[in-house]
Amino acid sequence: MIVCAALVVPPTSTVFAPQELAHKRVALDYGNGTAYAGLQMLEGAMPREAVTTCAGATSPAERFAGLMRGDFDATVLQEPWITVAEKAGCRLVSTTFFHGTWVANRDVSTEAYAALLRAITRAVRRINADKRQYVSYFIRDWSSHSEVAVLGPDDFNLGRIQLKEPGPIPENEARWAWEWMASWGLIEGAFDVTTQINRKVEREAHALATAVRAG
Amino acid sequence: MAMTMTIERVMAFMGLDVLVARDEGLFEAEGLDLRIAALPPDEIRSAAEGTPSKPATNQGKLQARGAAQMFQA
Repeated sequence: MIVCAALVVPPTSTVFAPQELAHKRVALDYGNGTAYAGLQMLEGAMPREAVTTCAGATSPAERFAGLMRGDFDATVLQEPWITVAEKAGCRLVSTTFFHGTWVANRDVSTEAYAALLRAITRAVRRINADKRQYVSYFIRDWSSHSEVAVLGPDDFNLGRIQLKEPGPIPENEARWAWEWMASWGLIEGAFDVTTQINRKVEREAHALATAVRAG
Repeated sequence: MAMTMTIERVMAFMGLDVLVARDEGLFEAEGLDLRIAALPPDEIRSAAEGTPSKPATNQGKLQARGAAQMFQA
């Protein structure tokens, strides 16, 4: 799954471009992919010393509420809260995408992982054939929140919903991600692909799953 | 005999493919009994309690204690 993350400012904000967030407080859900995406968007727009973040809640509902209260200048959101924010008049000043990555323990067998890959591949094909049919899942996750409950399928920008059939993790991308995190002091030690990716299970599982990809 | 696998809870924004595969019987069709486990509410911590270098994340907690084999990061 490809995750979309957006840096969002409230309707009254004077910020229109990401570089204008320099030295402004941006709430990030530290430790989550969306937070790292937020940091990368900020880093791409200003010197590191100008990046100013504060701890945001894990729940995007709480981060959106904090944004609207003025607790901070911007935050990072994912769907369906990006859509909620836009409907509330907020502006997206930067948007990015990142890969969700499975972390497995040593108990996962090649056969089970291959079955998972085959099922997910079929699901990706079904969703990509008719994304609008499936956006109800985003609403269902947050249906107890009135801002989400009022959304309809037509409210969603389907360009922000991207799915890719699963594939092996490219070593250069894994290394880059590790070294980027290390450069921010978020992780320690040198990248060692042999401790991070079990290439034997990965290779064999993807080989077993190939049939569905070809079909 | 069906293979079994337990994964940590996913939401649509990062696991729409998993949720659709589950609901449409695609794991079952592959002979995989996929179970989705959620962290008990009293164990969930907010990222607001953490710092960049010491985040209060919930991901991986079930896997760490053997209650799940996989989670999505």
